[in-house]
Amino acid sequence: MNGTTTVSFVGVGGQGVLLAANILAQTAMAQGYDVKASEVKGMAQRGGSVLSTVRFGKLVWSPLARHADVVIATELLEGRRALPLLAPQGALICARTIISPGSVLRGETQYPQDIEAAAAARSVTLLLVDAEAVARQAGTVRAANVALLGAASAKLPFNEAAWQQGLAAAIPAKILDVNQRAFALGREAHLNEEVTL
Amino acid sequence: MCSVDSLFLSGNEAIARGALRAGVTFACGYPGTPSTEILEVLSATADRDGRVQAEWCINEKVALETAIGASLAGARSLVTMKHVGLNVAADPFMTLSLTGVNAALVIVSADDPGMHSSQNEQDNRNFAKFAKVPMLEPADSQEAYEFVAEACALAEEFDVPVLLRSTTRVSHGRSRVVARAPVAFAPRSYERSIDKFVMMPQFARQRNRLVLERLAKLRERAERTPLNVLEAGTADLGIISSGAAYTYAREAFPKAWFLKLGMSHPLPVEKVAKLYRSVSRVAVVEELDPFIEDQVRALGLPVVGKEAIPADGELDQEIVFAALEPYLTRRPPRRRRPVMPPAARISAPVPAEPQLPVRPPVLCAGCPHRAVFAMLRKHKVSPLGDIGCYTLGALSPLDSLDSCLCMGASIGMMAGMNKVLGRRAVAAVLGDSTFFHSGVTPLIDARYNETDGIVLVLDNRTTAMTGHQGHPGTGVHLDRSAGPALDIERLCQGIGVRCETVDALDTEAFESALKRELGAQGLGVIVAFAPCALMAPGEQQLTVDEERCNLCGLCLDIGCPALAPGETAVEVSAACHGCGVCAAVCKRGALSVAGEPAGTP
Ligand SMILES: Cc1ncc(C[n+]2csc(CCOP(=O)(O)OP(=O)(O)O)c2C)c(N)n1
Repeated sequence: MNGTTTVSFVGVGGQGVLLAANILAQTAMAQGYDVKASEVKGMAQRGGSVLSTVRFGKLVWSPLARHADVVIATELLEGRRALPLLAPQGALICARTIISPGSVLRGETQYPQDIEAAAAARSVTLLLVDAEAVARQAGTVRAANVALLGAASAKLPFNEAAWQQGLAAAIPAKILDVNQRAFALGREAHLNEEVTL
Repeated sequence: MCSVDSLFLSGNEAIARGALRAGVTFACGYPGTPSTEILEVLSATADRDGRVQAEWCINEKVALETAIGASLAGARSLVTMKHVGLNVAADPFMTLSLTGVNAALVIVSADDPGMHSSQNEQDNRNFAKFAKVPMLEPADSQEAYEFVAEACALAEEFDVPVLLRSTTRVSHGRSRVVARAPVAFAPRSYERSIDKFVMMPQFARQRNRLVLERLAKLRERAERTPLNVLEAGTADLGIISSGAAYTYAREAFPKAWFLKLGMSHPLPVEKVAKLYRSVSRVAVVEELDPFIEDQVRALGLPVVGKEAIPADGELDQEIVFAALEPYLTRRPPRRRRPVMPPAARISAPVPAEPQLPVRPPVLCAGCPHRAVFAMLRKHKVSPLGDIGCYTLGALSPLDSLDSCLCMGASIGMMAGMNKVLGRRAVAAVLGDSTFFHSGVTPLIDARYNETDGIVLVLDNRTTAMTGHQGHPGTGVHLDRSAGPALDIERLCQGIGVRCETVDALDTEAFESALKRELGAQGLGVIVAFAPCALMAPGEQQLTVDEERCNLCGLCLDIGCPALAPGETAVEVSAACHGCGVCAAVCKRGALSVAGEPAGTP
């Protein structure tokens, strides 16, 4: 709304969704945007669905939005669940990671297989990223959230310097290195994909 | 002299007798003027007929939680306190509005306008509005006597705790009481219902909508109840009043019209409007805050209120007369029509994507709480619970926790339930941080009131739910520096409660401690100790013997996110901590752990 871009991060508690959102927020600030963000902590972090929203633009008022221009999902089911957040022509950048919720593990429900069809039906541009593989290549599977952000980065209006500032501001120095690698690998792998804002 | 069939009672005596008449069989509270005599009279009277259990609790919070337990167990219950006591009990009180009750639960708040014997003068009518619960305000002993049964009936009909608000002059005033026949009501029994009694976010959101719907229904009831009476007069003056203030106003202005509110929350706005159709001047006579007045003003109606009637201290008929008399000779305000408040909109539940599996939060892989709940389930113990990560034990597939009201509520609720249902009907479970927050007082109370039961403290050495803060049991300060760590077992010894500490992940040790407690009498504490999995990464490896695994599902039934059914055997994900809880439930020896355990006491 009003020239503000909304990026929503979704995933499973414990996947580093909040960290990824913070990197984006820091990057947008480094690029000179006004930024507002909001997240839900506490019980939701115990393996439940989590949602974190980052909004940037010239001047941002509300920290919250029902709809997003871009959704970055660290898990496939959560990405599928987030589709209604996206307006047509929005973009879903989704890791191929699968974390089955209890009801699927116990065979009470089915893990959805229709993310491509559902995205197409809504005219949502979908980019599936093998984030864990990229992160492993960088040195640790735990950096999958940052590898995913790297993949999404090419589609977001920030320059390389801003991203580097964002990474450094949000990630503890001890693990910055491996995360920078994961980010770069993710970015390279998807630079030429056709997702535009 | 009073006649044979009428008694001369204080309001507090009348509430006690009213409780007996209403079928209240459990009552508790904490002393405080002007509420104290209610329980003393109840206990003395109850001793004679033996139906009622009444006790002093350690404080008002524990008293309310105990009464809630009794209500859940099916006993009509009463809890008494002075006004400031409700501050102490505010945590359970506010969420009790969401859970509602089982058998009736009446909370008596005795306020003290004028601070005859109090440190402040707060007007607890605000609590009724704050918690969205109905409030009854007796004006004399007869009403104090009868309103207990009215409150019980409302509580059960609307599934809501009812605030019975008295003040010094009602509680300690004396007047004639004509006894009435005992009331009849249907007995109730306890049933586990987690969406009603476990107030974790997904259930609390649903209950909160019910609270708003209930408030709308209570508004309708306030219009129809005979407790709210429009009394015709002959003067062109209408007075809205309740409680003791009504008696002053009635004496000061015998010819006025009155809207006498016995049920003063929610306000019957149609009845207010009707009064305004009958007279051109209206005043609200109330002690302390402009509680009714503000609501009348919100209807856009001209009213004389706190500009004339003092907003502090007690009133009497002379103050009221002197305050309102000047208005009688002034030109009445232009009649205005009330602007009725619109019904509040209730937000619709966020529509879920159909067919997508939901992902509620779960206990982490390696969480020691899972070991405790798996064992409790095995022994068919479904305890009353508390707030922390362990509240998740209420959900499928563990299904082993029955309630979550507020921090520290489990032990008091257990006390109330066990007093009503018989010695050791239910157990209580709470975390270590919750224990230090507000679990110590109810444990001392349980010792004092000779409550039986088993209390399980899930000691994961941290406040996990909120992000691993220290607490007195760990000694860890805000800056992570080490301070003195309190030992729960020694604390229990100090208060004379049997206590045993066991490794939560040592299945055999934990099971034998649990069996010992299950076979014992009285009050016992088990501290189930094992560090939070997020703070103590496990070094153990789980291996699956694919020959032995027949995918029976027993291990999947502990709800561990690291286990999934594979093609021929269960599969273990990288999230596994090697805690061994799954191995302990496997009957075929298909799962085994090797390596260093995550942590030992
Ligand atoms: C009055 C109040 N203060 C704070 C909280 C927030 N809170 C929820 S659970 C909890 C403590 C949980 O710690 P613990 O009992 O050790 O259980 P764990 O999460 O470690 O299993 C806190 C502080 C609350 N719900 N109520």
